[in-house]
Amino acid sequence: MITQHQIRRRMAATTPLLLSLLILAFVVAAVTLGDRATARMASETLIRVTLVVGFWIFAGNSGVISFGHAAFACVGAYVSAWTTLNPMMKGTLLPGLPAALAELHWPVLPAAITGGLVAAALALVSGAAILRLSGIAASIASFAFLAMINTIWANWTPVTGGTSSVVGLARYITPWVALGWAVSAIVIASVYAASASGLALRATREDEVAAAASGIDQYRHRLLAYTVSAFFCGVGGALMGHFIGVINPDGFYLDLTFLMLAMLVVGGIGSLSGAVVGVLAVSLAVEALVRLEKGITLGATTFALPPGSQEILIAIAMILVLVFRPTGLMAGREIMLPARWVVGRGTSQDRPETDRR
Amino acid sequence: MSIQLLFDALALGGIYAIAALGIALIFGVMKLVNFAHGQFIACAVFALIIPSTDAVAVMGLGRLPALILIPAVLAVGALLALAAEALVFRPLRNASPVALMVGSFALGVALQNLLLVLYGGRPKAVSLWADLGAPIALGPAQVPLLQLIVIVAVGAILLALALMLKHTRIGLEMRAAAEDFGMARLLGVRANRVISGAFALSGALAAVVALVLVAQTGVADVRMGGQIMLVAFIATVVGGMGSLAGAVAAGLALGAASALLQAGLPPEARPFRDAFLYALVIFVLLFRPQGLFASAGAKPRV
Amino acid sequence: MAKIGVFDLSVRYGKLTALSDLSFTMPEGERLFISGPNGAGKSSLLGAISGAVRAAHGRIEMDGEILSGLGPEQIARRGLSMVPEGRRIFASLSVRENLMVGTGLRRDESAVADDLEAVFTAFPILRERANAPAGALSGGQQQMLAISRALMTNPKVMMVDEPSLGLAPKVVDEVYDRLCELQKLRGLTLVIVEQSSARAARVGGRMLLMRGGRIVADGDAAEFAAGDLLTEAYFGDPA
Repeated sequence: MITQHQIRRRMAATTPLLLSLLILAFVVAAVTLGDRATARMASETLIRVTLVVGFWIFAGNSGVISFGHAAFACVGAYVSAWTTLNPMMKGTLLPGLPAALAELHWPVLPAAITGGLVAAALALVSGAAILRLSGIAASIASFAFLAMINTIWANWTPVTGGTSSVVGLARYITPWVALGWAVSAIVIASVYAASASGLALRATREDEVAAAASGIDQYRHRLLAYTVSAFFCGVGGALMGHFIGVINPDGFYLDLTFLMLAMLVVGGIGSLSGAVVGVLAVSLAVEALVRLEKGITLGATTFALPPGSQEILIAIAMILVLVFRPTGLMAGREIMLPARWVVGRGTSQDRPETDRR
Repeated sequence: MSIQLLFDALALGGIYAIAALGIALIFGVMKLVNFAHGQFIACAVFALIIPSTDAVAVMGLGRLPALILIPAVLAVGALLALAAEALVFRPLRNASPVALMVGSFALGVALQNLLLVLYGGRPKAVSLWADLGAPIALGPAQVPLLQLIVIVAVGAILLALALMLKHTRIGLEMRAAAEDFGMARLLGVRANRVISGAFALSGALAAVVALVLVAQTGVADVRMGGQIMLVAFIATVVGGMGSLAGAVAAGLALGAASALLQAGLPPEARPFRDAFLYALVIFVLLFRPQGLFASAGAKPRV
Repeated sequence: MAKIGVFDLSVRYGKLTALSDLSFTMPEGERLFISGPNGAGKSSLLGAISGAVRAAHGRIEMDGEILSGLGPEQIARRGLSMVPEGRRIFASLSVRENLMVGTGLRRDESAVADDLEAVFTAFPILRERANAPAGALSGGQQQMLAISRALMTNPKVMMVDEPSLGLAPKVVDEVYDRLCELQKLRGLTLVIVEQSSARAARVGGRMLLMRGGRIVADGDAAEFAAGDLLTEAYFGDPA
């Protein structure tokens, strides 16, 4: 005999599988049907899945909006640059780098993982301060943290190159590499969400007082989620760097923060599926708008949006979502298999195909 | 040296205090942390020049004599804030503070990019009241005239605002609404009037900051409101969210801390001044998460 | 014409039904007690009438005018005032400022001054502490302030939610004495949520007994205290 609880658990376990299949289908479609530009768009989108799913691990489970996650991407990208760049190049570009770092010439995978780990360590330290604050004040402090990292990176020229870009990162990101990281992020995110800590954190999101009364240590769970979350944002940052080949502190500042936030809001912050769907929806919209900004020719006339209208339209879309569908496209639901599929034939009654997280 | 430092601290702190008030006023009445405030400042700056993407700025409003120019720019700020309230925040009136905050962030991005479309991305040189930069001798110190004007103006604005909040009907209603909006409405206080009032005031305060920034730096830049908005946010957190007096006190304190850091840090560390400031604040909040100027159970008080 | 009329009123919070198809009317000048166990919907009823809580359906009228759909400030401006549960005084504002918040809807400035004087005469302690922050008053004094603050809007109908909550019995007596005096003096229509039917019987008036979002009994408060309608309401099967 299978209990309702077991059915629900099995159904929940299908979510990461289905989401992974969804982005796999996205990659396959982009690679087989599109040109090189489409394949690049697919890689970029999946890097964003890694970033936004990482972001969701904290923001989605805790209900606290962080403005600081772009800083973790920044750190991840620079750590990967410091460890993988040709030592000769580092000597000229980043003369202030400590000797131990300057000599390194690592392969890309350990560099990306290290980027994530350094970001996570930074999250552990900064989160210990920021997460003691209440929700809104924590959001503001995370914004201060972002500005602090940006100020340091833009001015610490001998080590970071300052506002001039660091160039020459190995461009190894294919859609498949990005897919691998996106799938890992999705799996870890759903493992965390189903863990005792994830459950406890979502309880604090629903009702802070009741959760505290039942003995939940909100701060500890927030800090854990923040740290795990920062790991994937760090990795996502490293992937971004190696995707373009050039990094700059302003590439990891307000524009990226806005994009990540817009994706989460549009998809719906209440569920992991919302985060993934939001990335896909906003990325496709961005791609369409970018092409419009370049101009499309209709007969004799070329029609082009002025540069900057992309952000304006996405911002307006975001406000419209907040007003008319505040729970986002997915409305807090997860994509999962229906109950009769996970239980087997003839043993179950019909259950809804989506479930609230 | 020390008098110079005092004036630096007062002028900078005064501007921070005005910006923090603009944030705290709106937070008080509708629990909105307005991430578009920096763009209100930037829009008020660009209102001075004629829209064009050329590298050279052509003054529009900015050519008018100060007696007309100042009220006009304040009105631009107030109207912009009122429009933002009507178009974005009124439909979100019943949304959570988090949704409001995210909505204001989106509004800020939209405004910033609107400025980019209209004016182009490059900073433009703007000369507003250039002769105010001339230093005056005050005892042993040389203090720019502009700094004196800023200090006096900030003092006058703070005084006027305190009087308004204490002695006018709308001031009373704002204070009541900041404490318990629902109760105020049950007593016949009109929500729209109070919220619009707070937005208009906040927008006008953003315009004050804009004028000072332009006069000080001589530049119009799409991003120029960002740093000061962040300091203002921090001031409202340090001051105890929603407390107007706390926001002013924290703004002044941050200005003083900034001036001290600027003077005390070795030259090679000065570019990192703001990073030190933010780190200092996060450190302070570790020990007083409820803010420096609010006791744990304290309510907003003017 | 009834002063207040409530017809088929329902209130829901998400899936939870707080009031279902509730109806009653009351004439001008009446004193109406609303009683019932926790969760019966008493506060929701007051909230819906005052406009603080949105009704799912139904109609609320005052003097024949439909109030449903109006905001709380518009309803207050039509002469209905509310003393909510927990008093909700503005702790950081002075006592005098608390009293003045609700006078913004009035155009008769000299009458406002007269009313303020009347409040200070009725409650000398409020005059004494006029410039002190209201948060510094005792619980009983805060209750007096909350009632006076509602009076300053010059209401025709006043609703008081649990005036006895958290107060010593002797203070409760005084609060009720003052409420009755004021009602007589001004011809107020008074709605009071009161848990204790014994208290309601002693003060006197009509009483509605609520349970599970419905009215289960309606009659003279004195009869409730004597009969077993109460036991029925608390422990019986909801209709």
